[in-house]
Amino acid sequence: MTTPSPDDRALPRGFVTRSVIRELERALGKERVLSTPEELIAYEFDGTIERGLPQAVVFPESTDHVSAAVRIAYRYDLPVVPRGAGTGLSGGAVAAIGGVVLAMARMKRILEVDVANRIAVVEPGVVNLDLSRAVAEHGLFYAPDPSSQRACTIGGNVAENAGGPHCLAYGATTNHVLGVELVLADGEVVWVGGRTRDVPGYDLTGAFVGSEGTLAIATKIVVRLSPLPESTRTLLAIFDTIDDASRAVSAIIATGILPAALEMMDRNVIAAVEPVLNAGFPLDAEAVLLIEVDGLEEATVEEADLIERICHDHAAREVRVAVEAADRELLWAGRKSSISALGRLYPNYYVLDGVVPRTRLPEVLGETYRIAEKHGLAVANVFHAGDGNLHPNLLFDEREAGATARVLEAGAEIMRLCVDAGGSITGEHGVGLEKRDFIGWIFDDTDLAVMAGLKRAFKAGEHFNPCKAFPTHKGCGELSQAHVARVAAALGQDMYV
Amino acid sequence: MSSGTRVNSRIDEFRAAVASRIDAEAWAEGFAVDGALPAVVVEPRSEADVASVLAEAQAAGLSIVAVGAGQHLTIGNPPERYDVALSMRRLNRVIAHEPADLTVTVEAGTSFGDLGLTLSPHNQFLPVDPPGGGATVGGLVAANLSGPLRHAYGTIRDWLIGVRVAHADGRISKAGGRVVKNVTGYEMTKLYTGSLGTLGVVTEATFKLAPLPPVRCTVVCTTHSAHAASTLLFAARDAGLSLEAAELLSPPAAFAVLGEARWSVLMRLGGVRGGVDRTMRELGTYANGLGGAADEVRDDAWERWYTAFALERLSLRVSVSPTSVPEVVEVLDRRFAGAAAMLSATAGVGVIRAKLSPSAEERAGALVDHARELVSAHGGSVVVEAAPPSYKREHDVFSPLRADFAIMKRLKDEFDPKRTLSPGRFVGRL
Repeated sequence: MTTPSPDDRALPRGFVTRSVIRELERALGKERVLSTPEELIAYEFDGTIERGLPQAVVFPESTDHVSAAVRIAYRYDLPVVPRGAGTGLSGGAVAAIGGVVLAMARMKRILEVDVANRIAVVEPGVVNLDLSRAVAEHGLFYAPDPSSQRACTIGGNVAENAGGPHCLAYGATTNHVLGVELVLADGEVVWVGGRTRDVPGYDLTGAFVGSEGTLAIATKIVVRLSPLPESTRTLLAIFDTIDDASRAVSAIIATGILPAALEMMDRNVIAAVEPVLNAGFPLDAEAVLLIEVDGLEEATVEEADLIERICHDHAAREVRVAVEAADRELLWAGRKSSISALGRLYPNYYVLDGVVPRTRLPEVLGETYRIAEKHGLAVANVFHAGDGNLHPNLLFDEREAGATARVLEAGAEIMRLCVDAGGSITGEHGVGLEKRDFIGWIFDDTDLAVMAGLKRAFKAGEHFNPCKAFPTHKGCGELSQAHVARVAAALGQDMYV
Repeated sequence: MSSGTRVNSRIDEFRAAVASRIDAEAWAEGFAVDGALPAVVVEPRSEADVASVLAEAQAAGLSIVAVGAGQHLTIGNPPERYDVALSMRRLNRVIAHEPADLTVTVEAGTSFGDLGLTLSPHNQFLPVDPPGGGATVGGLVAANLSGPLRHAYGTIRDWLIGVRVAHADGRISKAGGRVVKNVTGYEMTKLYTGSLGTLGVVTEATFKLAPLPPVRCTVVCTTHSAHAASTLLFAARDAGLSLEAAELLSPPAAFAVLGEARWSVLMRLGGVRGGVDRTMRELGTYANGLGGAADEVRDDAWERWYTAFALERLSLRVSVSPTSVPEVVEVLDRRFAGAAAMLSATAGVGVIRAKLSPSAEERAGALVDHARELVSAHGGSVVVEAAPPSYKREHDVFSPLRADFAIMKRLKDEFDPKRTLSPGRFVGRL
C-alpha cells in the first residue's frame, strides 16, 4: 500500500489489485462492483471520441458507499472517475489513466421536493428530464435543459455546468444549484451551500459547479425549481442570409425582450433535416431561427408579434408561430432531429462548443465554412444564437484514411477562431480531455496556478478525474483520439447539445 | 524596539517603495473601518500599480484593505490589522461596452452610477440595486450586496462573467471571459464575489447585462397585517406576474419609504405593456380580496428604500426559506418593537433586511441574539452588516461556522498566506 503523495501534481500511481476489488466488494457488496474486462469495456468511453479503460466500476447507492469507495481508492492511490449517464461531450467521464469509475446511475432518488420553496434535493444520478417530469404536477420544472436531458444526469450537469437552449433566459446549471453534499478525496463528507440563498462564507458551491469532477464527488444536490410559464409561443423564421438572421437576433435583443430560447440552424442542417422531416424548409434558405418566448399570456402575445415584425423587417422569407404544445413541438422538431438527420448523411460527426460575442456570429460562421472546406470536410451549424454559443458539427467518415486527424485539426482551428474573436473554447460541454491542451489559449500560467490553489483547498490532489480540465502534464500520456462512431451510434441524438 | 515602532518603520519603507510612483494620500478620513484608520492611503491609477502595492505590502508584512467608495466597509468583522488603505477610485474607466452583445467591461473603481449612465442610453442595465448608493463596481462584487431587484434578477454573482484580480504576492490573474456563456476553467468569479477582498483585489470586471423592460412602474399594496401582505406577495409570485421586485415592508419601513405605517408590499412591475397591465389588474383583485388596496406610486419610492436601508447603525441581513419569511418577519417586528425596527423582505428569495434605530445600539447584542435564535430554528443565517464598533469588538458578525470552513481556511491560506488582505474581516475571522 502506498501513502498518498503530498505533491498535488503527482498522479495516482496505485494499481487495482485483487485485494482492492475484495475491499470494494466488502464495502459496497459484490453486486455493486465490476472488474472483468468484458464488463469494463462498456465504461471505456462517453459521448466523445476519447477512450480510457477503468480497472473497476462501482455502483454506489448511498453517500456512505461513495465515501467508502473513495476512501479505499485513496489508500491504494487510485484515480477515481465519477460518471453519470456517459453523455458528456468533452471526455469528462472517461477514465483517462484507468482507476475506479464511480457510476452514479443508481443514486437516482429524488429525496425531497419542497414545492412552496421551489427547491428539490436530489441524488446525482437523477436524470435531468425525470426531475422536471416529477415536479410538473406542482407547476414547476428544472430549467437547465441540455439536449441530452432525456438521458443525462443532474450530477453530470453539475460537473460540467451544463447549459441548453433555455439557459439564454434561465441561466446555466450554476444559477440553479443552492447546495451540494460532497465526498472529498480522503472520504470526508461535507456540505457546501444549503437550502437558503445566502450561506455566509466563500461561495464553494459556485466554485464546485463546473469543476468537471476534479474537486470532489457530489452525493446530494439542492436545486432550484422554476415555475412553468402560463404560456409559451414558438416562432420559426426562415432567412435567405445568415447576416439577416444574425441581425434579426441582435434587433430582438435590442427591444428589451430576452427570449427563453433563440436558436439557429444553417443551410447544411436544413439540407439534412428537410428530406427526413418534410417541414417545408426551403433548401435554398441560409438560416432558420427558432425563437421561444414564455410568461404571461398577454406578454407572450405582444412579444411574439414584435419578434415576428422584426424578423420580417430583416427580410425573413417566412415566419411561423405556434402556441399549442403539439404545434410548438413540430417547430422544434427540425432543431431536435438535426443531429440524427446529419447522422443519416455522414457516418461520423464531431461537435464543437465554441462561444463568441453575439455580434461576431456572421463572420465566425463564415470562417467555419472556410476552415472545413480547407480540410475537405463538411460542417453543419446548429447552435444557441442568443448567447453566441456555436456548435459546428464536422461531418466525416472515419474509415477514410486520415479523416479523423483532419477533423481534429479543423476542430482546433475553429476553437482558435472563437478565441481570436474574443470568445472561449467551451460554452457548456466542459474542457475535459478533449480541449485541455487548448486552455492555454485563454489562460496563462498564472491564471492556471491560481485555479490550482482552489484544487489544493479541496485537498483534491489528482485523485479525482486526473488529466481533465487543465493542460496535460507528464504521465497523462497520449490518449486515444480515434473512435467516434460507436458512441454516436449508441446514443443517437440524445448525446447532443 | 517595540512592535509599534517596528510597524512604523515597515510603513516608512513601504511608503518609500511606492511613493515615487503611486499617489499617496496624507489624510485617512473616509477610510476608517470600524473606527480604525490606516497609516497610509494609496491611490494607484493602474492595475500594475495595484499589484505592486500589494506585493510591497506583503513583503513589508503590512495589511491592506481595498476600498472603493467606502460604502460597504461596515460589512465584516473588524480587521485585526489595518496598515494600508488601497483606494481603487482612480481605476474608473469603462473599458468596453458592447451594446449588441449585452456585455460591459469596467475597471473596479468605476462607480455604479457612472456605469448606469453608460448603459441607460442603450436601454440596458446591470440589475443589482443594493441599499445605500454611490458604490463602486469592485465594492459591489466584493460585498455581493443585493437589493429588491434580487426578486427577479439574482445577485451580482449571476451577472459577473469575468474578472481580473491582483493577488497578495503581486501576481495578476484572470478568470472567466467576456462572453455570456463560458465553462472554460474553474469558476473563480464565484469565489471572489462576496469574499470582501480577502482572496485578492478585483481590478476589472465583465458583466452580462439585462435589457431594460420596455414598460416599468411601481405599485404599493397596503394591507392590515403581515399575514395579508405575505399572502398577497406569494400569490403574485405564484401567478408568474411581471414583477422585477416585491418587498414586504413592516409598518415602520413602510412609513419611511411610503409615508404610511401599514404592512405593505412594494413592487416594481416590468415587461411589455400587455404583461404589466395584466399584473396591475391582478394585484388590484388580490388586494381587494384581502381588504387592502393596490395603487401605482411614483418610482422615487425606491430611492427612499435605498436610503432607508443604507448600511448604518444596526443593519441585519437574514436568509431563510421563503416560506419562513412571514413568521420570521412578524416575530422580529414584535421583538424589535422597542427598537423601531424597519424590516424589508425580498420574500420570494427568503432575504430579510432589518435596520434598527440608533437608540437600540447599546442593546445590539441582545437584539442580534434574539434574531439568531429565531432564524436558526428556521435553518437560516443572520449576518450583521452594520453595527457599532463596541458590538463588533465583542461579537462575530457572521453566523456560526460549518464543516466546510476547513476548505475556506485552506483557500485563504492558498490565496493570502501572509494574511495581507483584510485580515480578520471574513467568516471565522479569516
